[in-house]
Amino acid sequence: MVVPLISLILLCPLAAFAIFALLGLGNRSFPRQDYLSTAAMLIGLVCSLLLLREVVPGPAPHTVKWISLGGVTFSMGFYLDSVTVIMLIVVTLVSSLVHIFSMGYMHGDPRYPRFFAYLSLFSFSMLFLVVSDNLLGIYIGWELVGLCSYLLIGFWFEKDSAADACKKAFLTTRVGDVGMFIGMMMLFTKFKTLSLYGEGGIFALAASLNTGDMVWLSIAGVLIFCGALGKSAQVPLHTWLPDAMEGPTPVSALIHAATMVAAGVYLTARMFPILTETSSLVIAYIGGITALIAATIAIVRFDIKRVLAYSTISQLGYMMLGIGVGSYVAGLFHLTTHAFFKALLFLGSGSVIHAFHAMHAHDDHDEHDHAAHGDHDLVHAHGSEIPPDQDMRNMGGLRHKMPITFVTMLIATLSISGVPFVFSGFWSKDAILGGVLGRAMEWNSVHHYLLFGIALFAAGITAFYMFRLIFMTFFGEPRNQEMHDMAHESPKSMTVPLLILAVLSLPIVNILWFNEDYVKPPEQPHLHTPQHAYVSPDSKTDKAGITLSLFGVSEAVAAEEGGHDTHGAHADDGHHGHHGPAHTIAMVLSILVAGLGILLSWMFYHRRSLSAQSVATTFRPLYNLFWHKYYFDEFYDGVLVALTVWKARLFAQFDGTIVDGIVNGVGTVTRDFLAVFIGIFDNRVVDGLVNRVAEVTWAIGGRVRRIQTGAIQTYLFVVLAGIVLLILIFRVL
Amino acid sequence: MTLQHYLVISAILFTLGIFAVLTRRNAISILMGIELILNSCNLNFAAFSRFMTPPEDISGQIIAIFGIVLAAAEAAVFLAIILAIYREFGSIRPNEVDTLKG
Repeated sequence: MVVPLISLILLCPLAAFAIFALLGLGNRSFPRQDYLSTAAMLIGLVCSLLLLREVVPGPAPHTVKWISLGGVTFSMGFYLDSVTVIMLIVVTLVSSLVHIFSMGYMHGDPRYPRFFAYLSLFSFSMLFLVVSDNLLGIYIGWELVGLCSYLLIGFWFEKDSAADACKKAFLTTRVGDVGMFIGMMMLFTKFKTLSLYGEGGIFALAASLNTGDMVWLSIAGVLIFCGALGKSAQVPLHTWLPDAMEGPTPVSALIHAATMVAAGVYLTARMFPILTETSSLVIAYIGGITALIAATIAIVRFDIKRVLAYSTISQLGYMMLGIGVGSYVAGLFHLTTHAFFKALLFLGSGSVIHAFHAMHAHDDHDEHDHAAHGDHDLVHAHGSEIPPDQDMRNMGGLRHKMPITFVTMLIATLSISGVPFVFSGFWSKDAILGGVLGRAMEWNSVHHYLLFGIALFAAGITAFYMFRLIFMTFFGEPRNQEMHDMAHESPKSMTVPLLILAVLSLPIVNILWFNEDYVKPPEQPHLHTPQHAYVSPDSKTDKAGITLSLFGVSEAVAAEEGGHDTHGAHADDGHHGHHGPAHTIAMVLSILVAGLGILLSWMFYHRRSLSAQSVATTFRPLYNLFWHKYYFDEFYDGVLVALTVWKARLFAQFDGTIVDGIVNGVGTVTRDFLAVFIGIFDNRVVDGLVNRVAEVTWAIGGRVRRIQTGAIQTYLFVVLAGIVLLILIFRVL
Repeated sequence: MTLQHYLVISAILFTLGIFAVLTRRNAISILMGIELILNSCNLNFAAFSRFMTPPEDISGQIIAIFGIVLAAAEAAVFLAIILAIYREFGSIRPNEVDTLKG
């Protein structure tokens, strides 16, 4: 049953795209491409849910050999374990909802069918990436989702900003992909295979490596992580994701929040068994730094979609951090919950933009001075680039106008901010924080204590900027009365997906992730507990995520003698003593910082007892740093791009002087010397010969032509004379 | 009347025909010369049939009749060609029709 189901999941969206492609790429498209694509996704969703029952409990490979070439065998196949199935459900579910949402949001777009076809192609690529059992298949899916991302960011390619953004996204992720490819080739050179699982797979072979190969394995791991670095927009390759918001908002929700950017996290999780201590630490640090940097940038953004984009980067950093500290389940759990609540936030922002957009059509060129409306006169430089319908300084008071959008977005915001117990984001974020602190306490490692501090701080900032978004958008007085008057609640095709996602932002998926029989983290044979750690040497990896359970009240707790441990821990792990306190501390601290963030946000942006402007003036350098996004773009433009241009100029000069010089020199020699001799030979000898032949023929022809008189009787006479002559000859003979 | 008489008459007719074909400046006259040649041939067939074969065998005479029919058909085609030539060149003098002159 598994193979037909997985084939159906893959083939349905592919077929939806193929129908579009075969009908001439938009010239004569299928009349209801939107229904076709949506139906394909819904079939995929149903099949994924059916798979949930089939694939229990855990890592059972369903490999189907596909292709075999020459001396080396490349095989294609599916690898299905519980994590894969959960990913399939997340992708098909979010994709289906985004399809439905798009029917409302993209209504009336001139390239409406093409949009759905691209969504289908994306869904196929993403699902292919998820189920592949080898690095080659993953890489194929990886590049295909990159292509779809490029096509969809640049969907409105008439806009220069969109055209630039899609190129930037494609090129930046390509930088990471080169690293990933080198990493793949390192593994391939060593193991002569790209398959991950099974006896001859990379994981089995890597497990038997001895300590001498650890440096090499760390480098390979970090290089493969580079791919994730680009795709999941981690520092320093994160700059493309905010620009990717030039694409249609459903695309931002599906590709640049819920699924594709999470592919990097998924890849890192897949590579979990070959991560060494060093590569894990690199991943954890990059994740932590990304979480902090992106969160701080998000504080000062005014474009509603950019806030969410930086929020996405920050949350992806959390997931990386989770995997980097060995909290495999926590990282993937956060991926799942984040997919739902971030898709909800993006679709909600899409709903707001849509509300303003309708008005925009009426009143196109009435450009307002945005800065004058808000209380942020510090706006400079980029301030004017924000489209008016995405600028939070034009919003405010929308909660009465758009009640459904408001409520659903509020749920998602509470979830991402880590408001305790009834929202899924709290559980997953707390699982990561607990995992980091648990690793720190277990290993007694300064690095991990530092990372915990960073993550905790970023969690507080997350709560702050998310509530800033809610307060600026939905509370207070309308800042732009004209736009406010035109705003309206979105149609049902848009609000229904919002409601479904809002339900999914409650801790429903916890059931899957907290089921220890269903999700089992893979072993990490090369991740050893450091010497200085004070834990028993038999404890291997941290299974932090599992130690939580639904609503904090687990059956395990009842069996536990220590009633203080509200999280529940593994009775069989032998080191729950470290996790129990770690998670309790992490939970208490995360609730505190989240509360603090929300409180500050409320004081700044709702009650206005504190002025954001005066704070910004006081901490001017810091504000400038955040406003300019840590000068990453400036750095890339000023150094990398300038260096590339300078190098290109240098080579152009080399081309212009030396290469052209050689070519021109050869040309001159040929023309002025060789060609002259050959020319003389041609003119004199060859032409002479040809001309002489022609002249002789001409002269002979001129004489012989006179025989043809054109008079019939002359001919007849000659014939007669000939006959007479013949008769005479025969008589004589 | 022996075979020789017929052959002499036939030879005279043939010669006159050739002479007319080679010398006349009018296409109609040339046609008339051709008819003379054909008739001299028919005369030869009939004469040889009469004098050289048994009386039952009349194949020579039959060929002569075929020759007459042939001459009639040939005259029709020839005259049609003459008409076409006249339309094209405004003349039926063969020496003026010399577009093939080299």
